[in-house]
Amino acid sequence: MMDQHEDPKFDQWLRDAAKSYHAPVPTPREEIWKGIEAARRNKRVIELRPWLRWAVAAAAVLVLGIGIGRWSMHQVSTPADTRVAERTRTTTEIDSLAGVAYQIAAMQYLSRTEAFLTSFRADANRSANTARLASQARDLLTTTQLMLDSPAADNPRLRSLLEDLELVLMQISLLNPVQDGHDRDLITQGMNQSNVLPKLRSAIPAGPVPVRTEGAL
Amino acid sequence: MDESTLIARVRAGDSAAERALYDAHVDRVYRLAFRLAGDDALAQDFTQETFIRAFDRLDSFRGEAAFSTWLHTITTTVVLNGLRKVKRFRQREADIDDAHDIGVAQRHAEPDLKVRLKQAIDDLPEGYRTVFLMHDVEGYTHEEIGAALGVETGTSKAQLSRARAKLRVALSDFAGEWTA
Repeated sequence: MMDQHEDPKFDQWLRDAAKSYHAPVPTPREEIWKGIEAARRNKRVIELRPWLRWAVAAAAVLVLGIGIGRWSMHQVSTPADTRVAERTRTTTEIDSLAGVAYQIAAMQYLSRTEAFLTSFRADANRSANTARLASQARDLLTTTQLMLDSPAADNPRLRSLLEDLELVLMQISLLNPVQDGHDRDLITQGMNQSNVLPKLRSAIPAGPVPVRTEGAL
Repeated sequence: MDESTLIARVRAGDSAAERALYDAHVDRVYRLAFRLAGDDALAQDFTQETFIRAFDRLDSFRGEAAFSTWLHTITTTVVLNGLRKVKRFRQREADIDDAHDIGVAQRHAEPDLKVRLKQAIDDLPEGYRTVFLMHDVEGYTHEEIGAALGVETGTSKAQLSRARAKLRVALSDFAGEWTA
């Protein structure tokens, strides 16, 4: 039986007309393959993913543990040497928490930067607001520089990625609103040549990780 | 070499097999990504991400469905998630632009069929649009679409029917073209 909306003539006309919608260009096989190889090479070294979920859970347990510990210390009178031992353990736990916090902050920052650079590259030929792009790049640049000075940059590969991002963000932050077309092309070319986006994506957890606030790409 | 042998070689770390598997499937993945994204840079990014995930997760492919079906499930997930992210980013930009443009009159030229068709397809709900493009434009079967999107075949058929109905209404000014 024919559906109430079914109209074979319309369906055929629509199919033919819609061929022009986002008509694909030839596949740039080599460019895509280079990106895949670069990202996978990089990924083998930056492996933050599996432990990160455990780290977040562990952090929650540690916070709870420290809270209970501190509460107990106020409640129970303990000998002086025991209090010193407790204080040392608490300091170690806080240091561990700080490490996890830096990693979580790094993941959030990398997700935001990835969204920004993906949109920047996709909009490279559009008349987007250059002044605002530059302003967003400056915000991210400040965070990049803070990350470079933090323990999150102890990982040499992550540090190298942050340095690449610092360069790209600095270039975008300096875009001239009057004549930015050529500059944008150069920045996009530079991003493609240095494989910044594939490297960035390989450093971001792909699964449903709590820190991935922008959704998985 | 058949595909199961190729996949076994990829699992064993054979980089030439990785490239052969990529060559066998990249065109269809890229075509679908381009149809959905409408942008070469995004389509390249999505294709790249699809293969990175596929190679990383190849151990979880048990061969119960065709490899291409499994790969297109990853493709649609990557593309739709990626487009949502870009859309959110652009929406934030547009909201700020709108706030700046208050009081500025907008003029719209009368669009031709191609422009109206593009607008009508862009305006479809995400599920309708995806099924319409996969089925009517790229030639996927409802079974393939159901597997890729994780929905029943009947859902895919229903969404296609609704997509066509919406497009018919949106393009009613051009009715003479298909009734002639």
